[in-house]
Amino acid sequence: MSRMQRLQLTLAAVLLAPALALAQEIKVGGIFDLTGITADVGKPYAQGVRDAVQWVNENGGVNGKKIRLVDSDYGYKIPEANATYKRLTGTEKVILINGWGTGDTEALKAVVAADKVPYFSASFSAHLTDPAKTPYNFFVGPSYSDVLRAWLFWVKEDWKDKSRNPRVAFFYGDNAYGKSPIEAGRRFCKEIGIDLVAEEVLPGIVQDATSQLLDMKQKGADYAFTQVTVTNFSVVLRDAKKLGLATKWGSNTWGFGENLIAVARDAADGVVAAMLNPPFGEGVPGMAKVVEFHKKNHPGDKHDTNYVRGWSYVMVWSEGLKRADKAKALTGEGIKAALETLKDFDVGGLAAPVTYTSADHRPTTKVSLYQIQGGKIVKLSDQEQPRKQEWLGL
Amino acid sequence: MRCGDFRTTYAADAAIFETPISRWATVGFLVALAAVPAVASTYWLDVLNRVAIASIAAVGLNILTGFTGQISLGNAAFLAVGAYATAAMAGSAGLPFVATIPLAGALTALVGMVFGVPSLRLKGLYLAMATLAAHFIVEFVANHWDSVTGGVNWISVPAARLGPLALDTDAKLFYLVVPLAAFLALFAKNLFRTRVGKAFVAIRDQDISAEVIGVRVFRYKLLSFGVSSFYVGVAGALVAYQARIISPENFPITLAIDQLGMIIIGGLGSVQGSIFGAAFITLLPEVLRLATGELSAQFPGLTDLFAPLRTGLFGLVIVLFLVFEPDGLAARWRLIKAYWKLYPFSY
Repeated sequence: MSRMQRLQLTLAAVLLAPALALAQEIKVGGIFDLTGITADVGKPYAQGVRDAVQWVNENGGVNGKKIRLVDSDYGYKIPEANATYKRLTGTEKVILINGWGTGDTEALKAVVAADKVPYFSASFSAHLTDPAKTPYNFFVGPSYSDVLRAWLFWVKEDWKDKSRNPRVAFFYGDNAYGKSPIEAGRRFCKEIGIDLVAEEVLPGIVQDATSQLLDMKQKGADYAFTQVTVTNFSVVLRDAKKLGLATKWGSNTWGFGENLIAVARDAADGVVAAMLNPPFGEGVPGMAKVVEFHKKNHPGDKHDTNYVRGWSYVMVWSEGLKRADKAKALTGEGIKAALETLKDFDVGGLAAPVTYTSADHRPTTKVSLYQIQGGKIVKLSDQEQPRKQEWLGL
Repeated sequence: MRCGDFRTTYAADAAIFETPISRWATVGFLVALAAVPAVASTYWLDVLNRVAIASIAAVGLNILTGFTGQISLGNAAFLAVGAYATAAMAGSAGLPFVATIPLAGALTALVGMVFGVPSLRLKGLYLAMATLAAHFIVEFVANHWDSVTGGVNWISVPAARLGPLALDTDAKLFYLVVPLAAFLALFAKNLFRTRVGKAFVAIRDQDISAEVIGVRVFRYKLLSFGVSSFYVGVAGALVAYQARIISPENFPITLAIDQLGMIIIGGLGSVQGSIFGAAFITLLPEVLRLATGELSAQFPGLTDLFAPLRTGLFGLVIVLFLVFEPDGLAARWRLIKAYWKLYPFSY
């Protein structure tokens, strides 16, 4: 081979390599909140997704194909989520989207069904689990409603005075996220014999919850569940401590985590809440790679459960991509069908094992309850809910 | 040789297009726009539709704030009224868009006039507070009137429809939104050549003098609220048709503030300025997003820095505009035009 020929060959190889790499690439969209009202939890989640994608690519990819994550911040603004979606599907031609909150998920649910784009998001609203209504929506973890039922079940067990039913209050915001599990909670209270004595509505940004707390105190609630965020929940806890209330507090995943202890400090002691993902660094099998990645790439960063959540999402949908790729069906429809073959898919304890079927998108009904004890997050129990048909979508 | 702008007739003074060139340039621009859907991606069409819709709302707000001098923070609420009215009429009643859009505008005009009543007694910041109340009242109603608005849950809107024609893509919607925006801008431009428009401007400049020369101030203030809200209601109807699914979360108070930003940056009391401002405020975040997205791709470690940088830059650009071009983009545009018209002897 002459030198010229060799040069030409090298040149051709150099020119072709990116084209080949491009063909072996799977484009996935990301719609994250890095600057909006939920950025406090949205940023670690987005970082988790990004890091996990890099990890998957470094460890074999999707049957050798690399995932390219095209992500964008939408600042929790719905028109911008719409525009971003159009850019991701129209210009970038992504085949799956990892989204974020209630706002973008709800605004896009009809469109993703029409366009057949599987849409993973961290809005755990039970009404997204019925494929008859939202066939292309997915999330990883128990729904808000299942979490509330599990907590109510714990209340029933924790209540020792058998002369009367325990009294419970709900705290929630006047928005889609806040109201999501309330109807399910009301019904379940009746079913298992808990008296729901108060429902207190909180504003979007809570600065003072005294009036709601006094109302609750007057109605004599022994337990209270909040469907808010960490910032708002810590205001409620602070005011409750100030008023000297003996109420036992509960929360869903967005009101709980490492940062609740950091913000509310000793007022957070005794709170029982669901965590859909373990705290960062907990000794579950799947955590080893997360910690290793953290040590290798950004050892100075601090991480929390939301970061782990990002990882668990990628573990689930990349498995869907792998199965779809094996079936030679890397399309929206193919990925949906592949995801619906997941049965008790284990993500190494980063989240509860995931099952999707074509008639039921409840990923799991297992809820892990944790309690803050002396400034530490301690696991209480796993509550396995029955997968009742009448609870689908409620 | 021209060396200045001299008008010798009233007709020339009131003309919409000062020179034949500007008229033909406008026509040419609209014709060029008509060709856009053939080449643009859905993303850019979506952005352009949003610019056109924001222009309608900004022209509406400018009629009230820029031309009549009544400051309003109720614009997001009026958009919501127009959008929910459209959702109700197009959804259960199944009316075509030729009916829903004007009806939504008319209903919003009524609501706007109701909330305009305090303007009889209130001025300036006090009126801003009263219209802010309108925002919270409308938000509360939208959150709790479940049977019509779907409450906090989202309500979906069918595609804009007229007989067998359904405007279900961005490209089709483009041909409704952009001509409508052009027509409404022309209408507003004409409005200020009429008795009513001159009365609005008289109230803005000095309400007591206006009363003295025979303008019934309260009636015209209410009329201004009505006309302005009609525009905003039409924009709200288009928002509903574009988003296809709406909730109270689509109409936060920051939207009302964005719209005030549009008319301040574009130019208070200028129809053209409203359109410039709407385009500027809508395009700036998109352009910054694409730029920061590009930077993030180059420097993946800095993604968390670039995203917040975008919101910071947005604020900075607005402040710089207010400092260096307080009369708005419309004034700058006039200066640029005058420079070329008189080139090279602009003195």
